[in-house]
Amino acid sequence: MSRPKDERNKTVLALTSSALLLPAYQGALADAQPEFTEVGMRYSKYDEDDILSRKAFGGGSERYEIDVAQFHLLAPVADQWSFALDVAWEDMSGASPWFVGESASGSPKVIMSGASIEDTRTEVSGTTRYYFDRGNAGLNYTYSDEDDYTSNAVAVDGAFNSEDGLTTYSAAVSTSHDDIDPTQGTIPTNTLSARKDVNSVWVGVSRIVSKRALVRFGLSYTYRDGFLTDPYKGDDRRPDERKEWAASAGYRHFFDAPNAALHVDYRYFNDDWDVQSHTVDIAWEQNLPQNFRVTPFIRYYTQHEAEFFYNLEDPSYEYFADDYRLSAFGAFSYGLRLRHDFGDWSINLDAERYKTDESWGIYSGEESPGLVDFWRYGIGLDYIFR
Amino acid sequence: MERIEHTFKGMGGPCRLRLEVDTSAAADTAIAAAVAEVQRLELKYSRYLPDSLTSRINRAAGLGAPVPIDQETAALLNYANTVWRESAGLFDLTSGVLRRAWDFKSGRCPAQQELEKLLPLVGWERVQWDQDNVYLPERGMELDFGGCVKEYAADSAAAKLRQQGVSAALVDLAGDMAAIGVPEGTSGWPIGIRHPVSKEQAVARVLLPEGGLASSGDYERCIVIDGERYGHILHPRTGWPVRGLVAVSILAGQCLVAGSSATIAMLKPPGDALDWLENLGLPWLAIDADLVVHGTMA
Repeated sequence: MSRPKDERNKTVLALTSSALLLPAYQGALADAQPEFTEVGMRYSKYDEDDILSRKAFGGGSERYEIDVAQFHLLAPVADQWSFALDVAWEDMSGASPWFVGESASGSPKVIMSGASIEDTRTEVSGTTRYYFDRGNAGLNYTYSDEDDYTSNAVAVDGAFNSEDGLTTYSAAVSTSHDDIDPTQGTIPTNTLSARKDVNSVWVGVSRIVSKRALVRFGLSYTYRDGFLTDPYKGDDRRPDERKEWAASAGYRHFFDAPNAALHVDYRYFNDDWDVQSHTVDIAWEQNLPQNFRVTPFIRYYTQHEAEFFYNLEDPSYEYFADDYRLSAFGAFSYGLRLRHDFGDWSINLDAERYKTDESWGIYSGEESPGLVDFWRYGIGLDYIFR
Repeated sequence: MERIEHTFKGMGGPCRLRLEVDTSAAADTAIAAAVAEVQRLELKYSRYLPDSLTSRINRAAGLGAPVPIDQETAALLNYANTVWRESAGLFDLTSGVLRRAWDFKSGRCPAQQELEKLLPLVGWERVQWDQDNVYLPERGMELDFGGCVKEYAADSAAAKLRQQGVSAALVDLAGDMAAIGVPEGTSGWPIGIRHPVSKEQAVARVLLPEGGLASSGDYERCIVIDGERYGHILHPRTGWPVRGLVAVSILAGQCLVAGSSATIAMLKPPGDALDWLENLGLPWLAIDADLVVHGTMA
């Protein structure tokens, strides 16, 4: 006599979910301090395409380049604690859009700042984390300093696993206090000194829905208060408050036969400046023999313009910004990540191409001549002291 | 890729680890961690070792004071409770006392009186336990984790290998197996399931992907009296050997789940057992008393 199908696996389900409470099956899920010290170094380069001469006064111009070097250390300390230190050095140079003017033909063109910007930024971040049976909690302090900007940020986060170990609840709060002291140089700035505070909260839940699949959801709220204007951009006048909401969802699925995992992520963003955006990320993590992993990925991003975005200024506007980052546009980026593990070492290579266009977006708006395309590439090396 | 094999003795039998690693240097630490894990569980749960937690729990039976336990033991008791419930009481951690009446080397059956004296000591429902303590309410009662600890140890040793960065390995604790990853270029670890009588012959060959394979068999340890086979798997309510299947192998996500399922099948009457296995939805193989092979892996 056969039992109905639903009941069929009830025993297996009961045994499995009860077995998974045993410590041997929880190692993979969480929450033990790292066993070994890990160190990593990474170098990456961000390189904006030259702006086309038809979009800028004074002909084509080189844009921004950023060289980034990063150091990472994660070490177990005492019982159930870990400490992580992250240091990043950035060297930024090149020109960025200063303001948008009207050309003789009536189309907006960008006036570039000239090769006047040269800045370095150093960021030091320390995180201490406590691991307990069913989760972990971390405290982070980050200090960032560049010629014209200092930032101090503190964040607290925690993750808690359900009794069956299949669901993880996470939350984080962070606060940062930034001081802006624009460098007085070849271009005039619109403030001499200003402050900005950013506070945000985040909650998330992820659940292992089967042996091979995981879903996650997140919600965040960020409140910015203070000088939110770009000090180097012409007549930029922005509200001194910004309230942002974001919701995200993700799905991971592991496939046995190709030995690969599919990642699909979506994020919705909305703020009280009338900016809305959608981001879709798709990645395929392919494991290959000899401990190689190659991950092609593609991302689509589309954004609604801020209510005070205009290419051309009118003094009657209460608020005004010609910053392309607040315009309506769509962007595609695609790239490849490559990882190879050998013994206690692993090497990571990645390259990404980002291209943007007003017509690729789902929201229409004035096209900014300042929209940027860029390349990003990086190389990293990690070592575990076993 | 290097293939490394390491054999050792543990859990009362021959044990073997098979690993695929980049360098043998990294494998040594991993192997040491896996072997240590098997030893840890043996020292903690063996009923033969006087200092084990199991022996301490059993010695405290009926003395009025509960024995403190850790989270792992509480989870193991909780698991045993689930198996007991799912098997309608056939799988019972307290049924080990019945072995006192059965000496499989002597070639004789115990008198019914002997069994009658022991049967009142069997009864999982009487065990008092929670997250922090366990207590056996009657002098002479015993817990025996033998029915699940070897399988759990296989899974736990495999988890240790994974924590040490090993991506493909097979842990084999005297026939109870747990696998992480698969050998390069294959879809699983090739495993021969031995025939219960002609040991050199495989009844079936399977490829074990990540997960566990456990077998429960009754052929090796049994007594035959007047042509009647008496196996070592005892019914918790009668005290007599179950006249069920001769061998069961099951493949599951965890060796522990495979092992408990195989034990439940062995405790059921043969007809019921085959139906139950059929409905379980896991790959299985069973051999009945007439040595007929059944199952999806046959």
